Amino acid sequence: MLTIKDLRVTYGEQIALSIEEPIVIEAGDRVGIIGSNGAGKSTLVKSILGITKYEGTILTNLRQEEISVHLQQNNYVNTMPVKYIIEMVLSVNIKKDNKLQELISYFNFEGCLNKKYAHLSGGEKQRLTIILVLRKDTPLVFFDEVTSGLDFETRQKLMQGLIKWYDGKNTTLCMVSHYYEELEQLVNKLLILEKGHVIAYGTREELFYKYCGKTLYILDNNDKNKEFKKQFKSILAPEHLIALTCDTEEEERNLTELLIHANIDYKRSNSDIEILSINAKAQELAKVEGGSFVENFVA
Amino acid sequence: MKTLLPNKRMIFYELRNLLGNFFTLFFGIAFPIAFSILMPSIITRDLPENAQSEAIITVFVTMSMVIPMAVMLLGYAANYAQEVENDVPLRLDLFGIQPKKLFVAKLIAHLIFITIAFILYFFVDWIVLDIKMPNTKMIVLWISCLYLLAIIFFMIAHGITTIVKKFGITFAVTMLLYFSFMILCGMMGITVEQLPKALKNVALLLPMSYISKDFVGIWDGGSYNYAPLIQSFLFLAAIAGILVLLGIRKSKRTQGIYQKVE
Repeated sequence: MLTIKDLRVTYGEQIALSIEEPIVIEAGDRVGIIGSNGAGKSTLVKSILGITKYEGTILTNLRQEEISVHLQQNNYVNTMPVKYIIEMVLSVNIKKDNKLQELISYFNFEGCLNKKYAHLSGGEKQRLTIILVLRKDTPLVFFDEVTSGLDFETRQKLMQGLIKWYDGKNTTLCMVSHYYEELEQLVNKLLILEKGHVIAYGTREELFYKYCGKTLYILDNNDKNKEFKKQFKSILAPEHLIALTCDTEEEERNLTELLIHANIDYKRSNSDIEILSINAKAQELAKVEGGSFVENFVA
Repeated sequence: MKTLLPNKRMIFYELRNLLGNFFTLFFGIAFPIAFSILMPSIITRDLPENAQSEAIITVFVTMSMVIPMAVMLLGYAANYAQEVENDVPLRLDLFGIQPKKLFVAKLIAHLIFITIAFILYFFVDWIVLDIKMPNTKMIVLWISCLYLLAIIFFMIAHGITTIVKKFGITFAVTMLLYFSFMILCGMMGITVEQLPKALKNVALLLPMSYISKDFVGIWDGGSYNYAPLIQSFLFLAAIAGILVLLGIRKSKRTQGIYQKVE
């Protein structure tokens, strides 16, 4: 569906994005695009959409109108009542479109239809674009930090809406987000970027196995658990956590027993994106920077 | 080939968009009507009775050009520049609404609006002022010139906005053009003939100058040398066309995404 080859985006002297190995996104893929600020996530989306200059090749069998996107900033005419924006963009009559009415109802948007765009709150503005993007129902959709800046409850509601809408559909999704728990609910592939370079790209399962092992046991980072950790294989984790890794079922069983015996709370995971991403970055950058990165990272 | 023609919904959307713009409503309707009604009572005061009718026609014809200038050059530029600054056209483009189609929808909406503005202007002035009825050929010529001017001003405003992309600069440039055209083309009380030679030469490059100074002379018919008027229209249209092309070039999306997998 989409192939990215030898892509290079520069802003002045600075390389914003450089993709050397081809990235192939197949129909039905749900790709989470993650990385720190300035990693090149939005630059990648903008390149694919053709709204930033790049060198290289982006191939697709889709027409421009078969791709839709929810950008970080989405603006419409301030003085226009929202219902006219919706009807113009989708070229439908809201009253005659049942699917659209369902979406409006699901996102509690009925009360906003007669408001002018300038009078919508931040969350309402996000919901407007989400409704438009979902109703467009294109084969390829990009969401660039769709829930950023929203409160927890609104984020949850939006994500549940997206999950429900795309359940059972073959739509290809590319989702840029800093909220890993949201990605865990929706994506089956990950593209990890750092400082404009690709750290890893693949299915969540293969990347998890490659960088985290078969299973992770995640504990709080306290003195007791630090002591416990010393007996086992651990990998990098956020500062407040400890991540123990197991490669076989046997190792898992032993560790579980010991954790129960030591009365330690734990979470078992074979899909934690945050720890996966930390370890992928550390391991891949260590190859490039001769290990110094890992030391700095841990420190 | 994809059609450039927008649907009715897009045109009505752009009409609503236009009606939300104070500049367009005030400078495009209220201002020319008020000015064309007030001006004759001031300028005819010192004129002999046999020259008064001609003066009223001159004001009536000259102020009619303020409508396309204000609606297209000022109003549209102000409105569209705010949209461009906020990436609204890009947002619509990403929803599959092509910029060319949006351009046509905006143009049609603005032409509908100026038609309403012309009707109001002619109707109010006809009732209030004592204007002699022109001959049919003159009516066709005058209205054609107004619509041609409207399309050219629309293109100039669109071109400047897409090149500049900032509301403040766009508004300053179009305001400067608006007042320059008003001064040069006899809309501010100074006739083209009264201008210093250098400015007069510039004024004679613009079709508005010929409309304001010549149309009163052929109000009842008679022969007229159309060549300078046509040349000036071609000149202004060429500038407008260049501005639009530069704007398209500047705001064009890159082509990579359109490369197809065979």
